[in-house]
Amino acid sequence: MTMTPSTTSTAHTSVALRSATRKRKLRQRIILNVVLAIGAITMIIPFVWMILTSLKSPAEIAAATQTFLPQTWQWSNYPEAMQAAPFLTYFRNSLVISISHTLITLVFASMAGYALARIAFKGREVLFLAFVAMLMIPTYTKIVPQFLIVKFMPLFGGNDILGQGGSGWLNSWWALIIPGGLSATAIFLFRQFYLSLPKELEEAARLDGLGEFRIYAQIYTPLIKPAIATVALLTFQESWNNFLWPLLVTTRDDLRVIQVGLAVFQQLDGTQWQYLMAGTTLATIPMVVLFLFCQKYFIQGFTNAGIK
Amino acid sequence: MTTTANRPSQPNTSKKTSADARADAPNLRVPKKLKSRSETKRRLRRTGWLMVAPSVLHIGLWTAIPVLATIALSFTDYDIFDAPAWIGIDNYVEILNDPTFRQATWNTITYTFWTVPVSMALALVIAVLLNQNLRLRNWYRTAFFLPQVTATVAIAMVWLWIYNPQDGLLNAVLSIVGIPGQAWLADPSWSLWAVILVGAWQGIGIKMLIYIAALQNIDESLYEAASMDGASAVRKFFSITVPLLKPATFFVLIISIIGAFQVFDQIYVLTDGGPANSTTMMTYEVYRSAFQNFQMGLASAQSVVLFAFLLVMTIISRRATKGDDE
Repeated sequence: MTMTPSTTSTAHTSVALRSATRKRKLRQRIILNVVLAIGAITMIIPFVWMILTSLKSPAEIAAATQTFLPQTWQWSNYPEAMQAAPFLTYFRNSLVISISHTLITLVFASMAGYALARIAFKGREVLFLAFVAMLMIPTYTKIVPQFLIVKFMPLFGGNDILGQGGSGWLNSWWALIIPGGLSATAIFLFRQFYLSLPKELEEAARLDGLGEFRIYAQIYTPLIKPAIATVALLTFQESWNNFLWPLLVTTRDDLRVIQVGLAVFQQLDGTQWQYLMAGTTLATIPMVVLFLFCQKYFIQGFTNAGIK
Repeated sequence: MTTTANRPSQPNTSKKTSADARADAPNLRVPKKLKSRSETKRRLRRTGWLMVAPSVLHIGLWTAIPVLATIALSFTDYDIFDAPAWIGIDNYVEILNDPTFRQATWNTITYTFWTVPVSMALALVIAVLLNQNLRLRNWYRTAFFLPQVTATVAIAMVWLWIYNPQDGLLNAVLSIVGIPGQAWLADPSWSLWAVILVGAWQGIGIKMLIYIAALQNIDESLYEAASMDGASAVRKFFSITVPLLKPATFFVLIISIIGAFQVFDQIYVLTDGGPANSTTMMTYEVYRSAFQNFQMGLASAQSVVLFAFLLVMTIISRRATKGDDE
């Protein structure tokens, strides 16, 4: 460009300049994509590696130089893994618990959220502040007494009325489903969603003589369907991925959830990587599929709540 | 909606009749209305309480009572089998003098430092890069966010395999470049870094996501004006993007710190706190005290200390990100 003779018009220079900036833009764009692609691949590779390992033979895994792709695709690893450990039972247990938690949350947290948002009753402000305070309590600040409550639950698992003598809710569906069924976070989220709706609807409905419960169930709740999907997915995810609580309250194999089952299998048969990775794939797939299909709601939920 | 329109015909008519009756009996109507209003109020209050009751009971039993019980138990010696014995602040004294818990605290702080502020800076850069008109934008975002929705136990299992000293992927890749492999999880000088890498890898998605959402709220014209004044991209990033993202930064900081301080699953799977306590965390010590040694009082005291740390961190981050708007 500096070589351009002084006789050329300014228009000529600007064309050269423009093509130069375009070239620079293109280069920037390529670099940007390369950087992002490297990052994205770093995030994906462990998942790919998990699936590929689950399809390799033990000999291949132990070989001095491992190929990236399996030499023979050992689909039989999956049925064999289910023989090695009751992964299907674990899977079913996780599913039952996650669905129960989701349903309990949708019914009770939405009711509470609605009341806190739209029904003027005495003590509402204090109650709301209390829920917000509970929201901030970390798991580890309640886990010991939660365990003790479960252990000493009166009249369950051989316990007498004072909670002595038996094992309470330990090793039972009660312990797996009830304590994790509701969270202050879900209540808080529902309240925010119900608050965002216009007041005119409820006034009109009240004038029409509808009961409060019907206003909640038939007028407002149908309007927050996307929010319901968001809370449902977050609850399901939280529940499916939960590890510590089921680890503490269950020792029986038939009540284990998949995350605990995996950890136990790893401790017992830690060297059978192909089976371990097959089990891990089973534990991962539902959330990955749900996420890929309902990304919008997950993203909305996480940006609102930032839970994990 | 349609159902509501045709259902309440009956109360409607009754209201009309009472309004019509106004002309005939004005004196009668006033107390009647007052009565019905207080009736409505009472009905509202009852419905409100009925609707929150299940949640109040649940959160009360499984969160409020446990928190209070944790504080109370932290002053006792309790092994589940015998009744708790009041021992004052002995548990806290023990924690102060326990080198393992001190190590766990330090590990937790180190872990938090690398997986929170450092990861946040990285996440912000990714978010800014992604906040452009790229064709593959959604694919990149999905990839970065995927580990976040996956179970930490499953993820730790995969990394356990990647870190495997003999057949692991990491050593295989490093050997291509000529770097000697390590026993990442068995070597105390590497183990904490290995755990940090997993935590940072898994947590980057959520931080990025919140930043992307916040970036979309920044007024584009600010950048245009800055460009006209000849500001460079770097200058725009530090003078426009970073200050305007302060609220988002606070939000990310808080949720990430709370998350990082509660790291547990990957420790359980990857290292069991070892080798030589090099990866034990405050949460892991709570778990060990309570559920391996049955020292419920000590475990409660440890979890109170954990909670206190979180409170202090929250206040500090609030101060740090509040900035000049106050």
